[in-house]
Amino acid sequence: MIKTALKTSLPILFGFIPLGIAFGLLFQELNYPWYFASLMGIIVYAGAAQFMAIGLLAAGVGLVEIAMSTFLLNSRHMFYGIAFLESFGNWNLRKLYMIFGLTDETYALMTSINIPKGFDKKKYFFFITLFAQIYWVLGCTIGALSSEILSFNTEGMEFAATALFVVLLIEQWIMVKRLLPFMIGFIASFIALMFFIDHMLIVAIIISIGSILIFRLIKKSHDE
Amino acid sequence: MNEIEYLLAAILVMAISTYLTRLTPFLMFTPGKENAKLNFVAKNTPPMVMMILVIYMLKEVDYLSTEIFYTLFALAVTVGLQILKRNALLSIVSGTIVYMFFVQM
Repeated sequence: MIKTALKTSLPILFGFIPLGIAFGLLFQELNYPWYFASLMGIIVYAGAAQFMAIGLLAAGVGLVEIAMSTFLLNSRHMFYGIAFLESFGNWNLRKLYMIFGLTDETYALMTSINIPKGFDKKKYFFFITLFAQIYWVLGCTIGALSSEILSFNTEGMEFAATALFVVLLIEQWIMVKRLLPFMIGFIASFIALMFFIDHMLIVAIIISIGSILIFRLIKKSHDE
Repeated sequence: MNEIEYLLAAILVMAISTYLTRLTPFLMFTPGKENAKLNFVAKNTPPMVMMILVIYMLKEVDYLSTEIFYTLFALAVTVGLQILKRNALLSIVSGTIVYMFFVQM
């Protein structure tokens, strides 16, 4: 099972290593010891928030503001757990860790894959979560250590994250095969981009969930 | 507060904020209970979120430069391979190599 989980998690590797390296490289500009980049990868573990933090730290912003911006930026994650209320199992350390590791990438991957027969879903998800975080911490560390050592031109590597979400979007389509949620996500994104570009993700998700609930209500009253 | 203390405090504060966002649904809802509305949301959120994330990733593309052409080309490679082969790694790596080739040209 560990081997299968490792194989399943590999697409995240290609997203996280280059993204983590990019973070680590930027982090160096703050002139803190490199291991703080690793520490952030280990205990914060949030791509977008870590990038944002570089700007906030450079400006010496207050802790309350850091807490609030992080919370706002990551507020989309509040909707991710709903998909795993049951599959993460009972409350224990493993569940607390899987909740901690629920990033965009792990959420996207774990909602798009089928569990192989005979596998314990909780354990399978746990290993995917663990491997994903290892990739991220590795990326952050490599980036923070290596601005001079890195001779390989990584420019454009960030496309891997886009490609990962595109692949998972196709997998979602194969699983779901109903146009409505995709249409809603599409339209909500453009509304959010037009009016709330700074908070696009959370606004688009709230519009989407609101809309799909309205559609459900309409359908229900129609059926009765 | 010296600089390292500030950094440590900031990291801690970020860690708590992030964890709270991820923990919230697990505290708000009880699993296993028959809740048709919640199940409905849980089932429909992944396709919507995936759509939103893809558009989010592409929103910075400059539509007036050549960037749009090689971005679309790299996307086509990724999508085409994924539909034909259903191999996530292959699709991601190929699309990214194509993209990097053009960016670094």
